Amino acid sequence: MSRTKVSLREGAKDIAPILIGIVPFGLVAGADIIRAGFRPIEAIGMSVLVNAGASQIAATQLFAQGAPLIVAIGTALVVNARMFIYSTSIAPVLSDASPGLRPLLGHMLVDQNYAMTMTRGRSRDDVDVIPYYIGAWLGLASVWQLSTIAGALLGAFIPATWSLDFAVPLVFLAMLAPALKDRPSISVAVVTAVAAAVLVPLLPMQTGLIVSMLIGMVWGATQPGPETNEAVAEELAEDELPS
Amino acid sequence: MSRTAEFWVLILVLALGTWLMRSLPIMLHGKVSPKPWTERLLRYVPVAALTALVVPGALYLHTGDQYQFAPARLVAMLAAFVAALKTKNVVVTLVVGMVVLWLAQWGLSAIS
Repeated sequence: MSRTKVSLREGAKDIAPILIGIVPFGLVAGADIIRAGFRPIEAIGMSVLVNAGASQIAATQLFAQGAPLIVAIGTALVVNARMFIYSTSIAPVLSDASPGLRPLLGHMLVDQNYAMTMTRGRSRDDVDVIPYYIGAWLGLASVWQLSTIAGALLGAFIPATWSLDFAVPLVFLAMLAPALKDRPSISVAVVTAVAAAVLVPLLPMQTGLIVSMLIGMVWGATQPGPETNEAVAEELAEDELPS
Repeated sequence: MSRTAEFWVLILVLALGTWLMRSLPIMLHGKVSPKPWTERLLRYVPVAALTALVVPGALYLHTGDQYQFAPARLVAMLAAFVAALKTKNVVVTLVVGMVVLWLAQWGLSAIS
């Protein structure tokens, strides 16, 4: 087997243990689209084109609740702003990629293959990091796509009393907890939490979510902390990798 | 514009904006470097965004325009928080959160 093939396979293999955490997430993302009155084609299109679960669920729910388009899009984009940080940090690692490949590598950047590539892939001597990163994404994308489709097809049959929607904040919580390891991060979380608890039910047109995120961001800018995106991302990669 | 067409506008704009954010630094690597103030502002985005996504779901049951305090969800979220801090494991966090929610919902309906 060629080194490229081995690298692809190793990327997919390393990511395999964390794929199960994506399944309930994809189920809810798919089911939400149907519940909002759309078809499986919208669920598939959104997963392929956006490829960022948290923002897809946030945008779909806000849209279904009647938020203006601009609020649904704006909130979802703030949710994805962390990917800009990941991108600045992983760029040197992927710098051997041709100009034609780079836009595609960008589209593949999600929490899990970012963390996996930065913590494991780039330090392995037996793989090339670019196919490794692509292999990890292929694993993630296929499970994400299949579970979204399953959610779209089966979502209507899942009884409401199971409260499956609760899986969504639980997955975010699992991603958040490891990041709360120093005083500035905890203070940002507390400020954002109070803002969200008060503002989400209060502000009109579902703007509470985006306003609380912005309050947390601005508060965070006043806090001491790492000064560059690279440093921020290094810290995230160290502790954000769920097992 | 029909509701479906509007949703496709959402999908396409969100896809384009997300692609720009995650691709530009990779594409422009070695040509430009980000400004210090954007780095300061972006530093705690993951914590702020994730917290804002967790808290409403931990406190409220949301139907239409109504937000109703949901004690079962709060209890379940606190239990899952402890599990997340201790194990850093997504699956364990999910299982603890869901099981405690079901127990709490069942317990509360038995009382009332």
